Amino acid sequence: MALLGTVTVSHYLAVGAVLFVTGALCMATKRNALGVLMGIELVLNGANLNFVAFGSELLRKDNLGLDGSLMALFVIVLAAGEAAVALAIALNFYNNHMSIDIDQADDLKG
Amino acid sequence: MHLLADSADFLHQLLALAVLLPLSSFFLILCFPEWMGKAGKNGAFIATGAIGGAAVLSFICLAIWLMNHWPAASSHGDGHEVAHGAAAHGDAEHGDAEHGDAEHGDAEHGDAEHGDDAHGDAEHGDDAHGDAEHGDSHAHAAPHYTGNYYRLGRFGKLDLSISYYIDSLTVCMFCMVCFIATLIHVYAMGYMHDELHDFEDHEVSLADGDHLVRPGRYHRFFQYLSLFCFSMLGLVLAGNVAMVFVFWELVGICSYFLIGFYRERHSASTAANKAFIVNRVGDFGMIIGLMALWSSLGTFAFGNIDEDPEKPVILPAQLAAEIKANETLSAEARKSLDEQGIALPSFVVIRQGSAPDEWLLGEPNAHHQWVVVKAGEELRVKRRTLGIFNQVRREENHRKLEVPDSMVLADAPLNEILGDHASLASENPRLALANSRAEATSPGKIDQWRQQGYGYWLLVVAGVGIFCGCVGKSAQFPLHVWLPDAMEGPTPVSALVHSATMVAAGVYLVGRFFPVFAPEVLLVIASAGCITLFMAATIAITATDIKRVLAYSTVSQLGYMMLALGVGGWLAGLMHLITHAFFKSLLFMCSGSVIHAVHTNEMPEMGGLWKKMPVTAFTMLIGCLAIAGVSVPFVVGFSGYYSKDLILEQAYTLATYEGNNSFLAWVFFAAAAGGAAITAFYMFRMWYMTFAGKPRNQERYDHAHESPLTMYAPLIILSVFAVTVAWGGREGSMRWVELLTGTGIAGAISAWLLLRQRSASDSGEDHDHDTADDHHHANPEWWIWTPAILTGVVFVLGLLWQVPALHSVSLSGLLEQSRPVPLADVQGQWTSLIWPDEHFAHKPANHAKIVIPVTLLATATALAGIGLATVMYCLGWLNPQDVRRSFQSVHTFLLNKWWFDELYQLIWVRPSLWIGRLIARFDKTFIDWVVDGSARVARSFSQFWNYWADQFAVDGLINLIASRTHAIGLALRGVQTGRLRQYVMFIVLGTTVVFILVSFWKSAFAG
Amino acid sequence: MTLAVDAIAWHQFFFVMFALLTCGFAVGVLFSGNIVRMAFYLVLSLASSAGLFFLAGAEFVGAMQLMIYVGGTLVLLIFGVMLTAQDRFISLKTPAGEWVLSLIIGGTLLALLLAAAFRYEGWQQAELGDTTPTSSQADTTARLGLSLVGVRPDKLDDSPRKAGMSGYLFPFIIVSVHLLVVLVGAAYMARAKKRTTTTAR
Repeated sequence: MALLGTVTVSHYLAVGAVLFVTGALCMATKRNALGVLMGIELVLNGANLNFVAFGSELLRKDNLGLDGSLMALFVIVLAAGEAAVALAIALNFYNNHMSIDIDQADDLKG
Repeated sequence: MHLLADSADFLHQLLALAVLLPLSSFFLILCFPEWMGKAGKNGAFIATGAIGGAAVLSFICLAIWLMNHWPAASSHGDGHEVAHGAAAHGDAEHGDAEHGDAEHGDAEHGDAEHGDDAHGDAEHGDDAHGDAEHGDSHAHAAPHYTGNYYRLGRFGKLDLSISYYIDSLTVCMFCMVCFIATLIHVYAMGYMHDELHDFEDHEVSLADGDHLVRPGRYHRFFQYLSLFCFSMLGLVLAGNVAMVFVFWELVGICSYFLIGFYRERHSASTAANKAFIVNRVGDFGMIIGLMALWSSLGTFAFGNIDEDPEKPVILPAQLAAEIKANETLSAEARKSLDEQGIALPSFVVIRQGSAPDEWLLGEPNAHHQWVVVKAGEELRVKRRTLGIFNQVRREENHRKLEVPDSMVLADAPLNEILGDHASLASENPRLALANSRAEATSPGKIDQWRQQGYGYWLLVVAGVGIFCGCVGKSAQFPLHVWLPDAMEGPTPVSALVHSATMVAAGVYLVGRFFPVFAPEVLLVIASAGCITLFMAATIAITATDIKRVLAYSTVSQLGYMMLALGVGGWLAGLMHLITHAFFKSLLFMCSGSVIHAVHTNEMPEMGGLWKKMPVTAFTMLIGCLAIAGVSVPFVVGFSGYYSKDLILEQAYTLATYEGNNSFLAWVFFAAAAGGAAITAFYMFRMWYMTFAGKPRNQERYDHAHESPLTMYAPLIILSVFAVTVAWGGREGSMRWVELLTGTGIAGAISAWLLLRQRSASDSGEDHDHDTADDHHHANPEWWIWTPAILTGVVFVLGLLWQVPALHSVSLSGLLEQSRPVPLADVQGQWTSLIWPDEHFAHKPANHAKIVIPVTLLATATALAGIGLATVMYCLGWLNPQDVRRSFQSVHTFLLNKWWFDELYQLIWVRPSLWIGRLIARFDKTFIDWVVDGSARVARSFSQFWNYWADQFAVDGLINLIASRTHAIGLALRGVQTGRLRQYVMFIVLGTTVVFILVSFWKSAFAG
Repeated sequence: MTLAVDAIAWHQFFFVMFALLTCGFAVGVLFSGNIVRMAFYLVLSLASSAGLFFLAGAEFVGAMQLMIYVGGTLVLLIFGVMLTAQDRFISLKTPAGEWVLSLIIGGTLLALLLAAAFRYEGWQQAELGDTTPTSSQADTTARLGLSLVGVRPDKLDDSPRKAGMSGYLFPFIIVSVHLLVVLVGAAYMARAKKRTTTTAR
């Protein structure tokens, strides 16, 4: 643990970066629409982690204060809304195409 | 008296008001036609009220004038009483007294704008007009008032202002114009009643054969009449030539409106055009005259105009006394004046002015002088602009005609003016000219040039030019052709045009400009008048249209006036203008009354009308007697007798004047005398054909009737004036004769009318009813009362003349005050004729030599004319048809009006039309070709431009952009795979790249 | 483990533990081919990140993370998974080429992000030696609540003009309305309707 030294904002940011990249890759590689949704959740969570880290009074003196937490809260709420809508879209898509494979959702191809 | 003397200051205001009244009436009718009531009836009341108001104001002004300038007894009589007439001096209190210096201040009254009043001038003391002993020595200008109402602007030397020039002529003209115009307005209210409803013009046929029916133009007619009166009054009041010209043109345009009043008639519209165009020809000459005057004299104003400098300058009394005592300007005084902004020329001359308290400073020859006048208790220095009259007839030169210095300078050869400065001239001509002009103003040099005749032609050109305008306006040969055609206008217009306004304007202007006319110009005037009077009189003999007879009569009488002015009879010409105005308007209105009754102008359709329309017949008879100049020689006569006699006397004087035994002068006299006979002949021919004998057209005769009251009341009033207007101003016995004659004539007519009325009412009651159907009949009451009133008025007027104080009041006495200057043995440069003074004939010594034979001759000619007419047309001893047959060629010649219209058609109209067509062809072929060609060039150029610039460059660019965009779109289309995951990949990739770039950017540049 | 309890930096320990859990399960989500398993891993990853929130002193946010995300959103997701969980969709294979490309790009991005995270000095200084929550931080919930209704208790000593005035009442209301609209819209779109023929291309 000493290896780690004191836990700082940078560590949180590293975790957030991992979450972000993982989510982004999820979105890029999953063919299942719900997989893509999960990737979005991961990305949002990574971002949230950054907000919380910057807003934490425990980690840094020069923090964002409550703003960080509040932004995180809003993100969570918006993510919930987003998830609801996205799911509805996915289900609609599924109903119409009898498929959840987003590679088939290319009706708007140029 | 003092109040009345003061009241002279109001003259110009009152007269301006009189001018503006008709103008306001014009605008009222023009702008508010909806106020004019049914068919514009109120327009007549407004216009008549306006001109009536102007007439009242004019008569008030006449009274004011008389109070300030009581006329001397007329020189028309034997002249003995006249010797001490203090003509233009003082007011009535002093009228007969020896003039003294005490009253001199009276007229000044601080109004320094009054030009040089004729008030006593100690140095030129002898002043009584017509004073036989003093002969030609009187050097006074007539009493007059000048000044500016409003300065429109000053452009360099050109001073344009609305100014006035008031002398007794102005006042007389105002009274005459306003009075006659008022009567004509009243008359027109009756005459134009056809216009009150829809008017069917029987002389205009439409394509479908019907007559034109149009809305009545009653108020329009009165609107034009108002404008006409305004123009004429403005013309008379005008104080400078520019203003005269403006009103001159206004008169012209009004005549155009009125002559063309029945504009649907082709004849009326062409007559209006003719009048207008012919007048333009004359006006062109007038403009030349104006330019000659202005460019050489530098002013348009008639009289002197005094005005304060930018800031009023009051001369200290001490300084003034010093100047007067030394008669020069000391250095200190000059300095003092300099400080007040008055820069006097270096060689100041100080002289006594014409008024006792008036001192002139500065060079005597300049257009402008500095003058010291007494205004109240102060001595003021004013800037005086010399008027035209005072430049042409300088006070210092006893007002003899001479070429003004500036005219001499304008004409004198340049190298002579430059003189010693000739060497300078090459370097700085302007400076040299300024220097030398200043030097040249030394009187000697200019006098020398004047003797050599420099500038004289300018004076002649100016005079002839001005006269050209008058030739057009007053219908003199060769521009007389418009006036007879002007008969197309309604009769009241003819009456107005022919008596008081338009044609009078020309004669008036000649009279007004009389001081400026060189003898050569007078000769031209006399010649034109002579030709006109004879020619028009002969044409009138054969005319059958009653109005055309009168029109040619007018032309002939105008010729008389011009002849009179031309032979030096200033008073004769202008007096004839005024007497003629009365009896010619009377004659025209009578003829209108006849036409109104029988609905035709042709005299062969008339005859015997005196039974039907006695008032018209008798008033017209009075008019005929007046124009013929019938009289009991040396005792009493109709107004025409006095004025025509004066003309003949002056013509005779000119012919017989010492060494003047010129053929031309005898021609003048012969034409005037013969013209008098012809005038009497054709006037009575007209009267007989109209009123005497048997009806030649029974149907028209049966429908004839006397005109309504509004029409014949003016006739009666005018007939009184036609008889009496020239009376007065004679010895006591003569006045009683006049009284008795006038009352006798009026009483005789009244008695006759009463008798006739009684017999008519006894016998023809039912007959009257027949004719009364289609027209309102005259009120029978008036048949009884008007003659009685007429008699009474004449009697009262006659009695008034018996009052001693009024002895000297007469038309001739009044006009005499305005006599510009004596001609007194004037001789021109290019004519050997010597013009005698107009008073020459009235010297007692010449009474038997000139007055008696001429008067007898005039009466004889008049009676001969009347007699011949009676023999031919009344008694029938000579058959006119036989006479015509034996003079067939002459008759044809006269019937065709000397072929003037045809001649003009041949030499002017046809060539102009031909030239016009030629130019039109040139226009069509050449100019159109050029225009078409340029259009073609422009078109091909634009086609070329269209192809290369528009289609190729602009369109090509746009299309290129569009196609490139399309291609790029097609190329980018492949990127839109529709695969979401790929998009995400792009986003991530993009983000990464952005991050990388930003990082590198920061590390590379921002550290 | 013989180490003294005091010697163990619990904070760091829990941080490492939760960080590893979070990252591990996230990677699991990424690499798992089965949608059901992905959903399970996601739940665990998110829950672990809630632990990280707690560690950062944001208890309320952490609680919300658990309640809304884990308790709400993921339940929704799992419902979606179940609704669409036909055999052929349970594990959809991604072409290998895409995997390679994605990993290259993702790795690059991750490297960049990590480099950025550890590059700034200010983010690595732990100025607060004592990481025990103070009393002032204990009422985070109340302070957040006040902020959401417009009062900022932590900024009372700001400049007078702005004191207490930077609250989140307005965004709060907007988000509320937004949520409402989202839910209505979602319900509308996801409603059962008569299935027509397969949508035409």
